[in-house]
Amino acid sequence: MLDFDWNLLLEIDWVEIGEATLDTLTMLGVSMLFTVLAGLPLGVLLFVSAPGQLRARPRLYAVLSFLVNVLRSLPFVILLIVLMPFTLLLVGTSIGVAGAIVPLVVGAVPFFARLVENVLREVDRGVIEASQSMGARLPHIVFKVLLPESLPGLIGAATVTAVALVGYTAMSGVIGGGGLGDLAIRYGYQRFQTEIMIVTVVLLLALVQGLQSAGDSLVRRCRFD
Amino acid sequence: MIEVQNISKHYQHGGKSVAALDNVSLQIASGEIYGIIGRSGAGKSTLIRCLNLLERPDSGHVSLHGEDITRFDERALQQRRQRIGMVFQHFNLLRSRTVAANVRFPLELAGGLSPAQMDARVDELLALVGLQDHKHKRPSQLSGGQKQRVGIARALANHPDLLLCDEATSALDPETTDAILALLADINRQLGLTIVLITHDMRVIRQLCDSVAVLDHGRVVEQGKVLDVFLAPQHAVTQSLLAETGMGQGALQGIWRQRVATPVIKLTFVGEPTLQPVLDKVGREAGLRVNLLSGTLSEIKDTPFGQLLAGVVASDVDVSALPAIFAREGVRCEVL
Repeated sequence: MLDFDWNLLLEIDWVEIGEATLDTLTMLGVSMLFTVLAGLPLGVLLFVSAPGQLRARPRLYAVLSFLVNVLRSLPFVILLIVLMPFTLLLVGTSIGVAGAIVPLVVGAVPFFARLVENVLREVDRGVIEASQSMGARLPHIVFKVLLPESLPGLIGAATVTAVALVGYTAMSGVIGGGGLGDLAIRYGYQRFQTEIMIVTVVLLLALVQGLQSAGDSLVRRCRFD
Repeated sequence: MIEVQNISKHYQHGGKSVAALDNVSLQIASGEIYGIIGRSGAGKSTLIRCLNLLERPDSGHVSLHGEDITRFDERALQQRRQRIGMVFQHFNLLRSRTVAANVRFPLELAGGLSPAQMDARVDELLALVGLQDHKHKRPSQLSGGQKQRVGIARALANHPDLLLCDEATSALDPETTDAILALLADINRQLGLTIVLITHDMRVIRQLCDSVAVLDHGRVVEQGKVLDVFLAPQHAVTQSLLAETGMGQGALQGIWRQRVATPVIKLTFVGEPTLQPVLDKVGREAGLRVNLLSGTLSEIKDTPFGQLLAGVVASDVDVSALPAIFAREGVRCEVL
């Protein structure tokens, strides 16, 4: 490291770095969107169907909970490969950025859903009981009580999920998904181009740091005091 | 009229079935304030939740104005609950909403009002509980008493015909408790609203209620008009709850019986005689001299009452003649 030639930084193909950054942001943005769209309802379903909860369905809960655990226990690299036929069916390709988004979503949804379930469990039971005493139906309770009351927690959960997704995107290179992580592996690791490694790591660090700060400041802004 | 008929409720606890409510029946007249008192674990909380079926009894019926709500399906029950207000010990306000939005919440659930009508109703309710100036604050910025006022305004939003209070003042300091009790009494008078409350504090019953039921181990052990129950408690649990407020205690009676051993009389005043110099008058007429052993002078819902225990020091008439003499002055006298 000490004899690292800093002049190498000048020779970096910044266009390629730029493209990789864009790929990462695309994969992150699109997969995050679908993760929230699918994971939030799944998390709510897990919460309300759990034994002793608002719409206790112990068997449904057991099945959902098992599926979530299965998906969460698969290493993401395996998920990438296993899902290839499914991805092809769904988006017409199983490679590249588009091909990476499906496994990213499938990997992140169970993670996010479980976080959502835990956040919802923190909502004061008394508040739920109070809304039941006012004649609230389940949709009322979900949309007017559970989700608004747990908004800071939900934003926190989304932040944690987004940061985890940044990690997942690094592996998408396996299927030619591209992005900063892929660049770091191909040039920095496999071809010993340390300068690329440094730049990508710095960019990834900035991305994660930015996501976390943005999440934290949103949480601060919508805390209820 | 609210009728609770033979409701029972059991819980499974460690493999055993524990009765939270054991064949409880109550009749609550429209417009009255009905208190249910008992120690913790007596089943009060379960009982009040059976009145809007947040808890479903295993058996028995609950009728509100002739409608048996235990036969309602879920939708009908949800509709009915919109007109049963409930106030909670820990307020249970939505932290994510302002004061005004909390009061607006039940109006949104009920539907049927335009946004402008809802706003108007919210203003009306906040004025009723004296919180107009705190409209835009969050619950976290309010004191306990203010939070409970929001809870009360919210409970009244849909013009309920029944208000349930679940230990509504138990989390408040004594001064705030008095203010909230006064507000509830005021609402009962102004709106003619039937209020059912549970509490472990006899002072709440004395200050606010018309009738009372004493609950112990899931059973009603005593019920009646508050004044009657206070002046002649029958059950040991009632007596011990009253003793905590200083009522009905033997005080010096034991020592008197040991050392002096002359008869002890119990004098009960209700209403007008409480404000007359009865003891002085009878003392002159019958040459009665007494030594006070214990006493309570207070009021229950604007009716003054008093109860004195006195050891007889001297009397021109026979002690057994005293009840008749006191009766002429409207005071009940018992020779103990």
